[in-house]
Amino acid sequence: MEIIEKIKTNKSIDNQTEIQKICLDKLQSSPLPNPRSEQWRLSNKSKLSNFLDYSVNENNSKFDIPYPKNSQSTIRLIIGENCQIKLIEKNYSIRQLSEDELQKYIKEQISCFNQNENWSDLLNLSLSCKNNILGLKINGSKIPPIEIFSYASSNSLNAKTLIIFLEKNCNVELLQVNLGKENSSLSQSTFFCLEENSSLNHGVVSYGVNKSNLLNSLNVIQQKNSEYNLGSLHFKFNYARFEIRIKQSEGNAKTNIKGMQITKKDEQISTYTKIYFDGPNGFLDQINKSLADDKSHAIFEGSIIVPKIAQKTDASQLSRNLLLSNRAQIDTKPQLEIIADDVKCKHGATISQLNEEELFYMRTRGITLTEASKLQLSSYFQEIISFIPVSKDRWNLLDKLLNEN
Amino acid sequence: MQSKMKESDPILEVENLSASTDNLPILKGVSLTVYPGEIHAIMGRNGCGKSTLSKIIAGHPSYTITNGEIKFLGENINSLEPEERSQSGIFLGFQYPIEIPGVSNLEFLRVSTNARRKFLNKEELDTFDFEELVKEKLEIVKMDQAFLSRSVNQGFSGGEKKRNEILQMALLEPKIAILDETDSGLDIDALRIVASGIKRISNAQTGIILITHYQRLLDEIEPNYVHVMSDGQIIKTGESDLALELEKKGYEWTDNFIKET
Amino acid sequence: MVNENLVKDVVKEPYKYGFVTDIETEKIEKGLNEDIIKLISQKKEEPRFLLDFRLKAFKKWQKMKEPDWAALGYKKIDYQDIIYYSAPKQKEKISSLDEVDPKLLETFDKLGIPLTEQKKLTNVAVDAVFDSVSIATTFREELAEHGVIFCSISEAVKNHADLIEKYLGTVVPTSDNYFAALNSAVFSDGSFVYIPKGVTCPMDLSSYFRINSGDSGQFERTLIIAEESSSVSYLEGCTAPMFDTNTLHAAVVELIALDDASIKYSTVQNWYAGDEEGVGGIFNFVTKRGKCLGKRSKISWSQVETGSAITWKYPSCLLLGEESVGEFYSVALTNNLQQADTGTKMIHIGPKTKSTIVSKGISAGNSKNSYRGLVKMGTKATGSRNYSQCDSMLIGDQASANTFPYIKSQQPNSEIEHEASTCRISEDQLFYLQSRGIEFEEAVSMMVSGFCRDVFNQLPMEFAAEADKLLALKLEGSVG
Repeated sequence: MEIIEKIKTNKSIDNQTEIQKICLDKLQSSPLPNPRSEQWRLSNKSKLSNFLDYSVNENNSKFDIPYPKNSQSTIRLIIGENCQIKLIEKNYSIRQLSEDELQKYIKEQISCFNQNENWSDLLNLSLSCKNNILGLKINGSKIPPIEIFSYASSNSLNAKTLIIFLEKNCNVELLQVNLGKENSSLSQSTFFCLEENSSLNHGVVSYGVNKSNLLNSLNVIQQKNSEYNLGSLHFKFNYARFEIRIKQSEGNAKTNIKGMQITKKDEQISTYTKIYFDGPNGFLDQINKSLADDKSHAIFEGSIIVPKIAQKTDASQLSRNLLLSNRAQIDTKPQLEIIADDVKCKHGATISQLNEEELFYMRTRGITLTEASKLQLSSYFQEIISFIPVSKDRWNLLDKLLNEN
Repeated sequence: MQSKMKESDPILEVENLSASTDNLPILKGVSLTVYPGEIHAIMGRNGCGKSTLSKIIAGHPSYTITNGEIKFLGENINSLEPEERSQSGIFLGFQYPIEIPGVSNLEFLRVSTNARRKFLNKEELDTFDFEELVKEKLEIVKMDQAFLSRSVNQGFSGGEKKRNEILQMALLEPKIAILDETDSGLDIDALRIVASGIKRISNAQTGIILITHYQRLLDEIEPNYVHVMSDGQIIKTGESDLALELEKKGYEWTDNFIKET
Repeated sequence: MVNENLVKDVVKEPYKYGFVTDIETEKIEKGLNEDIIKLISQKKEEPRFLLDFRLKAFKKWQKMKEPDWAALGYKKIDYQDIIYYSAPKQKEKISSLDEVDPKLLETFDKLGIPLTEQKKLTNVAVDAVFDSVSIATTFREELAEHGVIFCSISEAVKNHADLIEKYLGTVVPTSDNYFAALNSAVFSDGSFVYIPKGVTCPMDLSSYFRINSGDSGQFERTLIIAEESSSVSYLEGCTAPMFDTNTLHAAVVELIALDDASIKYSTVQNWYAGDEEGVGGIFNFVTKRGKCLGKRSKISWSQVETGSAITWKYPSCLLLGEESVGEFYSVALTNNLQQADTGTKMIHIGPKTKSTIVSKGISAGNSKNSYRGLVKMGTKATGSRNYSQCDSMLIGDQASANTFPYIKSQQPNSEIEHEASTCRISEDQLFYLQSRGIEFEEAVSMMVSGFCRDVFNQLPMEFAAEADKLLALKLEGSVG
């Protein structure tokens, strides 16, 4: 009940929005996720309670973006800071969702929530105040790249919510950056709706510093003929969970996911994905990589659900894991649940360390073990990083990873 | 001419070398000395230990030396790391060159060449200068520049992989090159390219060990010495006509040597 | 869709082992409590340690909850509505096969397992279990010459109490899971095998389990011990009559392999599966586990699961000994309303241990077929490897196939590789076979058997042919 009390004492009940009230109500019946459920059983309980330790903070301290923009045209937004946007250009428009639109959409979402599965969203929506919710509606063509930043201030628990509608036929490149400050917890929930024929190249880069925590939940609905590409990277968190739920609401859509998580020290980072095909001819290509060093713990659980209606689904999911230390731990569980018969589904998982024969080969060519390992890791990372849109030229992510790891 | 060679110091001395992997003895007392300018051929059936010998000289971590020593230019190298051996001038041409997905061939060759150059106190090459050098060497193995932009050995045909090995040898300019079954899996044209590449790279200062079980590479490159290995030992050493005799009589013929010794 | 209905017709062969043997049986009253357990133990004239073992297990069972995590749906079992001991009435002591009730011999004859001296299988020793008791074991003397002990577990309790006391419950502890605890409390009979040091068992050993009465549960217990450098191949077959009620089968199998020993355990499970509407059939909740205790020991499970209304079974290996090897080869076929949740656990504890998993699931009708497996590399399992391959074949658009592999590693110097795929019989392949004059039904069964080839290759010869036929029969009428 502690967390509930905290939310309640943080603000007077009168100030609460209707959404917050609904979610708080739901949370009250199960204030914490069921630790025995599939989605939470491997989650470190004390780290989760660390997450909830900080006091709720609705105000945002001034935040300096550590990266230069790549061009004038890039649209840059910081949730909670400069969310006022209304751009109506010749080819496209980006406008904020009205209060009514937001309320209606969120309520619709909540009605489909599963208490345990969407616990992170319930927490997020009960915490995030009006200021920290950004809702956008985008349409048109030749839309400039968008960058959206979320961050948590030191010694506090911040909740940020992002909702985006992509209208028919529009193509967007969007990079979402979640930054954890020292001793902070960030709850980020994101909702996308991709209308017919739209496409979204979505990048998620989340990284923290000392003792940062993150609950990052991503919910995507894809209408027919839409394409959703996700490149994601999570590293340097004491505790981080990345939950991805994608529903191809009519099938006939394409989803590509390339994700990676890197854990060191005693960190725990987990990725949960659930891809639901609610119609025929869906396509999924997913790869999730993790790398665990020191005493850390990396987790991947992915499920692909293909009901009877989803004939001719073509889905593939691969979990590749590198375990670099004998005190580290990796759990992976790629799952298939299939009822339709005319489908092509496959999954695979590997856990190993760096390939010894490859290392030896490079060493016989005079390349030192350290360098050879770096070369191998960089090729391991490269596949994911090159899939992250908008950013890749500017923030030399690869160097950052190789030199910090 | 033979005696003149021996006036200089040996490049490689393998002395009574025994080695094992997973407690299974593979080499059982191998001795071999290579002087500058010499070409040695090691022949033998599959599993006789000839490939293992090459890997141990290159420092493969899976093998443990249980007895004897390997000296390179007079120094014991038993405990050197594989990269240290390479940088100091030992080259191993792999029987099955390893595919390294995602690592660009050009980058790999450059890092490798610079590691050797650094050891030789030569200036390290930047990407631009290195490309110049590589283009020059590509000609030796008749390879197209397109190879450079692909991942190391990935998707290469058998012949392309072997030519990539010789290209590396040309770039690293080793003191001694051990070529493990470089001829296997090559058609006759590719074999000629590889053989002429080896001949162009080697000179009076380098030593070469050819590991093979066929005569056909030795038709192209005539060895000074031929060694026959069996069950982890060298059971017979002769000159180049030994290889011809072996080709004619088959390995059954060598079984008699074991009884003799 | 080609021949939609034709393919459906291919899976409907009546269950040919569904007859009931009319024989006078001795049954105890329904229900489960301490007195019943004491009664079972007393009937079997058991030593004190075994009664204690049973009572301890029963206490634990009472505190446990029936598992609900497997993706199975079934009517709640009333454990007080089951008879825990049922045996055909026989003379007090049977000294030879001639004294066995001819009706029983006839039953096994009909099942294709002749027991009498004249007719018995020539290269397989058989232990025949009828409801709660072992009826007969063939080739005992021949085996004894080699020092091999092959008898019912009840006999072993009397004659080899030391071995039973030393090993029983050491692989599957009484509190391991709900059904193992239940079995430990009430197990009635089963087989016992002991292969002494250095002995290669001269023939395959086999147990045949027959459930006859409709209201009693079957709780057999098997224990196989392979001493240093010994090896044995063990076969298990199961059938039951058709009743419109569900019968509970909760067996426990424990295997122990010492240094350089190898045990191959093969099962063809064809319990009655219930009818097309899902009425009746066996609930098959089985705990099978092997312990590779010795260095270089090997335990290999192969199974063909075609029967039972519900199967819940994960034959597993604990790989303790250095360089020990665990294998699991499985074909699970479900049709109509059958549910199967099966797989394996490979727990790598010792260094340089290896495991291989090959699982083929075929779901037809409205059935549900899940692979659930765990591969774990412990911190000391350096240099260990696992390879898993789990393929599913779906026949018809009402069947479901699930794959739940849990993979866990705490040892960087180890490798785990898992692959899974789902497919169906492609129309092109069918057409190709048909265009070469192969009948539709035969083409389907050829494809299914091709799909299962990797597993069938692991079965002992006589089983492999049997399994092929069984699949063809079970599939009749399901493809379409």
